[in-house]
Amino acid sequence: MSDDFAPEFIVVGSGPAGVSAAIPLVDAGRRVLMIDGAHPSPLPSERATQTQPWRRMLGDTLAALRPDDGLSPKLRTPVALDVVGGFQRWAEVTEDSFFAVGAMARGGLSQVWGAFVAELDQQDLQGWPLTADELAPSYRAVTERIGISGSTDDDMAAFYGVSGPVLPPLPIGPTASVMLQRYAAGKPYRDFALGLARNAILTVARGERQACNLSLACLWGCPRGAIYDARQDLAALQRHPNFQLRNGAAAIRLTQEPDGWAVETAGGETALRAPRLLLAAGTLGTLRLAVPLLRLGKTVLRLLNSPLMAMPLLLPRRLGKPAPREGYSLAQLGFRLRYAAEPTHYVTGGIYETIALPPSSFAARLPMGRRAGTAVFRALSPALAIATVYFPGHCSSNFITADISGGDVRLGLRGDVSDDFADVAPLVRRRLSAIWRRLGAFPLPGAAIAVAGTDAHLGGIFPMGLADTHGTSRYGELHATPGVYLVDGSVLPSISAKPTTLTIMANADRIGRHLAGVA
Amino acid sequence: MPQRLVVTGASGYIGARLVERAQRRGCEVVALGSQPGGANVTAIAWRLGEPPRLTAFVGATAVVHLAHDWASDRLNGTGPGNANLAGAEILARAAREAGVPRFIFASTTSARPEALNAYGKIKFALEERLKALPRHDGRVFCARIGLVYGGRERAQYALMAKLTSLPLLPMIGLDREVQPIHVDEVCDGLLALALDPPAGRQTVVLASPAPVTFGNWLRTLRRARHGRRLLLVPVPIGFALKACDWSKAIPFVPTVERERVLGLAGAAPMPSAEDLAALGLTLRDPADALMDCRPARRRLIAECRAMLRYVAGMRLRSPGAIIRLARVTRRDPAFRRALPWLALHWPGLMRLIEPIRPSMQHGLSRRLHLAAMVVESLPAEPMQPGLGTLAKELFLEAVALPFRLVLGRVYS
Repeated sequence: MSDDFAPEFIVVGSGPAGVSAAIPLVDAGRRVLMIDGAHPSPLPSERATQTQPWRRMLGDTLAALRPDDGLSPKLRTPVALDVVGGFQRWAEVTEDSFFAVGAMARGGLSQVWGAFVAELDQQDLQGWPLTADELAPSYRAVTERIGISGSTDDDMAAFYGVSGPVLPPLPIGPTASVMLQRYAAGKPYRDFALGLARNAILTVARGERQACNLSLACLWGCPRGAIYDARQDLAALQRHPNFQLRNGAAAIRLTQEPDGWAVETAGGETALRAPRLLLAAGTLGTLRLAVPLLRLGKTVLRLLNSPLMAMPLLLPRRLGKPAPREGYSLAQLGFRLRYAAEPTHYVTGGIYETIALPPSSFAARLPMGRRAGTAVFRALSPALAIATVYFPGHCSSNFITADISGGDVRLGLRGDVSDDFADVAPLVRRRLSAIWRRLGAFPLPGAAIAVAGTDAHLGGIFPMGLADTHGTSRYGELHATPGVYLVDGSVLPSISAKPTTLTIMANADRIGRHLAGVA
Repeated sequence: MPQRLVVTGASGYIGARLVERAQRRGCEVVALGSQPGGANVTAIAWRLGEPPRLTAFVGATAVVHLAHDWASDRLNGTGPGNANLAGAEILARAAREAGVPRFIFASTTSARPEALNAYGKIKFALEERLKALPRHDGRVFCARIGLVYGGRERAQYALMAKLTSLPLLPMIGLDREVQPIHVDEVCDGLLALALDPPAGRQTVVLASPAPVTFGNWLRTLRRARHGRRLLLVPVPIGFALKACDWSKAIPFVPTVERERVLGLAGAAPMPSAEDLAALGLTLRDPADALMDCRPARRRLIAECRAMLRYVAGMRLRSPGAIIRLARVTRRDPAFRRALPWLALHWPGLMRLIEPIRPSMQHGLSRRLHLAAMVVESLPAEPMQPGLGTLAKELFLEAVALPFRLVLGRVYS
């Protein structure tokens, strides 16, 4: 950073929220300094070692060659272990029935995300200090920028939102095709809808990013850059003279000064200063930085997540068919099921084919020897699918215990589900099982609720519009500390069953636009 | 300017390793002895009992005296004729004359006036003599070294390695407490004394602060080196001493010195924790440190190869895959139990010893999971088994089930 660059805004974090807030500011000519705790990491498309699959799948240091700990294969890739592991080392949170997914990496969690996107509608925004119309321009801007593909005229299109332009969908695999055909051919379903998934995957090349070529490499990082990754936006931001990025500067303390804020960073000799701070370190990262500002001593805060259930499915019609040689391992289909009359009482999720997933993680769950288990999985895999089912955030009941009394920040995360979840989960499972059977897919034993937090749909800590000390304004400004804006998931007042990233990005964009116009 | 060390016994078990480690730290080494030293070592001919040429000491920081004349112990016992007694003293005086700041004497944890073996008595007597030399205060350091293991199989370690390659071992002194220490740790301790000695410690103990019984030590050795159990049969000491004499007469049987038997019989632990801390040494768990020894490495490769073959269902032409699996599983506690050798030759037999269902808590099952991950990461096309293959696998699975009910618990 050149010394004469006096930033008007410091953005902490280079993930989807950080870049989304920074872009409108930079476009408006404001001087923005982004700080990033990690050091630059090459995009999968820039890695020179493409030729050796083991490096991609196990990691250069074999970090991913480790026993199965029950987490989803997505969180066990070398990149995920690096991104999330880096965060866990930095944040030092204690976890109880909770798995803290955060990122200490350039581009944040977008390096490992599932790329599933959906807009919130007016009913999802209940309790928010803003309307769907206010969010729509930001949804449009983000959708245009990151590139989203899917259908605009199936039963799920309106549910996923229609604010922005949608690219043509990817061709779905044979297993998903069977289910979608049966859905279209059958009688209408009560409370249930199925359609193509809406993913942040390019199906049309754009700039340096190439379109998806169905190479089945999704899990380990798209080598073509077809899946959106915040580092792509970061590269574009770095071409602006009024934007600067500082690497390897993990924020450790924020201090109020007469004319603004100072950020102390690990390894930095001098604090970085700006009139306004935007915290975009990811829900848990921002929690770590913002809690000391509240000066609450010991306190308990609420944390929302979207409880997640995985259901393995078998399609007998696909048995004995050859496995497809191309495809993608992100969600192929999306669905929604209303389980009660209230507008937010629905579950949603995706249907995934298993051909690109590592057989070892399935064989580890089959009640047979390794050799037979692998053979059985390989034989079944053309007929297998996985449905992920996300429940609304009010089904979660997690707590954060924060203790800043000793000078250090000690955070504990305790995961739990709401009282009614014990009734809701079996009900949803029963109803979905019946629907899957109608669609020609038989639920296999082994459906399980994932550990809280692994869904990575977190929020509700510093809700926008809440008047309490830990609340924030409609622009995410902490009441306790004017000039500090929280622009990531931590300020979402509620978590719906829909994936959160697009909304976090749109909200950050909205806050960025607002601040761009503030003197 | 590099520091210069004068080492006697530089070609011995500890000495050879000391020279390597000293050089790696940038020291120059002068080897005093009858055998030529290794590369980059200045060798100066010298015999124990002779005064060395004074030029040997030019610019030296320390003398590390490791040489010991075992023949003289046998011939002269603790009598004044023992070459070790006079030899060390002459060397120490000469070093003092030449102005060498430090003299490090390699002693033993059995150094005691009442030691049963001559070695312990002589080392003790030597310590006393060296400390009593005029004008040697703060210059003479005695390192009492425990039971040394690791590195190249030489000296006492070679003998123990040989003995523990057998499944059944008649042995004396099984309940005596010994203090193992890795040869590299001994060298680091000696170098610390030579280059930067802690204040106020003339005698330091280089030995494990947590003594183990000799029987358990032998079991640890066998477990770490061969992954197998060791059955020990206690032998009365008198019988053992006789056996020592016989062992010399019978060809192809490892010769055991009476001295060693007596040394073991008289072993008694010495506190070492404070000395190690003062020297900045933290000792590794021998079970870990021994993972680098040759039999363990060889076994690791053989097991990894077999597991990959079993999981892949064919012989893999990828040394890289074996190495990757080995790198990860060598740290796995399950590796401490060797797989049956039959399964190494016919990996398909692993089907009989797997647990009923995969479990990450089960050693073999966990390692097979890692092997499966390694196989998946190879560039080969995934094979979709036909109906015949599937039927065969399921049939074999059914046949293996009764075995797994019993044997599935063994390799956990």
